Amino acid sequence: MFEDVKMPEGMSAEALEHLMYPKNYGKLEDADGIGVALDEKTKEYVIFYTKLDNDIIKEVKFATNGCQDTVVIGSMFTEMIKNNDTEYAQKAIAKMHDKLGKLTPQQQVCADIVFTAFIASLKNFENKQNGADEELHLLKMKESCEVPQQEGEKE
Amino acid sequence: MIDKTYQKKHELWLSILFASFAIEDEAVKSRLYDFSQITFRHMKWLAKEILQNGNDYNYDRDMMLLKRENTFDIIEALSEELQAFLPHYPANALGERMKTDDAYLQTYLQEVLRDPKNNKVITAFNMERKYEDLDQAQIDALTLFLFDESYKEYELILIYSYMQARTKDLLQFDIYQDLIDESHFHLKSFGNMMAQLGILALPRELHEMTYIVKDLDQFIKDGIDEEIAAKEMCKELSDAINDEKLSKFFDFINYQENYHIELMKKLLK
Repeated sequence: MFEDVKMPEGMSAEALEHLMYPKNYGKLEDADGIGVALDEKTKEYVIFYTKLDNDIIKEVKFATNGCQDTVVIGSMFTEMIKNNDTEYAQKAIAKMHDKLGKLTPQQQVCADIVFTAFIASLKNFENKQNGADEELHLLKMKESCEVPQQEGEKE
Repeated sequence: MIDKTYQKKHELWLSILFASFAIEDEAVKSRLYDFSQITFRHMKWLAKEILQNGNDYNYDRDMMLLKRENTFDIIEALSEELQAFLPHYPANALGERMKTDDAYLQTYLQEVLRDPKNNKVITAFNMERKYEDLDQAQIDALTLFLFDESYKEYELILIYSYMQARTKDLLQFDIYQDLIDESHFHLKSFGNMMAQLGILALPRELHEMTYIVKDLDQFIKDGIDEEIAAKEMCKELSDAINDEKLSKFFDFINYQENYHIELMKKLLK
């Protein structure tokens, strides 16, 4: 899925389509799990809404105040996991990590914040199933989007 | 209670604004931009009234910017949206004002539709991404910049408006107004550029986590950091782009950010 995505060196039509019309963007009023991943340094966040039918992810939405890389990755990832089970979604994260290996460190952080928000939404669902009164589950990011430039990286 | 009239007005503002970006004819573009500014003022007055009545509003949206192929498709869709707003006018002075403004816009739209010469091909959504003599790498950099910054300007317009509607401090009110006006100009510049590149798209919806500010000082400090980052992005883009006119434009935007920082510092206690 990510073979054609080479941002910012050369933008594919698929990436551009996700930029212009992000998929599954917004809020889900009747979500079973709501997760937030927060980069405390930049205040960038991703909020992830998940609606489950047993193990199947029936509906999913996300929103962010972050950069366009976060939007594109969130849009692609939500398309990938929708109507699949949670086990597939966990594997999809690992699979996408491999594909995203080609991206810059900053873009890796953008991908991680999306995946972390998704995991937080599952944790929120699990906590509520166990009787917790938790509006949403918050996970703070270890790595910040403010990644120092790598040696030899294009100035 | 959340007032849905505000949401409709917000959507109408974006429809008029983005119609003005999409249409190339300078006369129609300019007229529609003026109307979008009037509609934005409707939003401001409506917000005040909603809060005075003890209700609330949010920035939820339920709209899409469809890829229209000609001017008349855009104008006809706008005309229908105006018509659909009719049942939402409040029965008071503000409602009357909005109604007469919108009726005049409707008259103008019908006037445009009467002349077939006005029906031109729309290239704002064709995704061709051609701009003067820029090469592909420069176009890619410009594309990402425009998506990031058009969202950011839209975000700032709405956040500052949200705070302006709630402040009782005249100095703060005045500074928010300046910052909103500045962001309108930037959004207009970036929106028209996106249309020229064939990548015109709505900025994404704002989540309440973005616009409900709990700590104003921290928000302003973060905002100053963002302005500094935006300045850096403008400078990088200006240096990277081999187009004198465009480079000068991004330098000009960069210098404007300096003054925004000064305005924002005044908001700090």
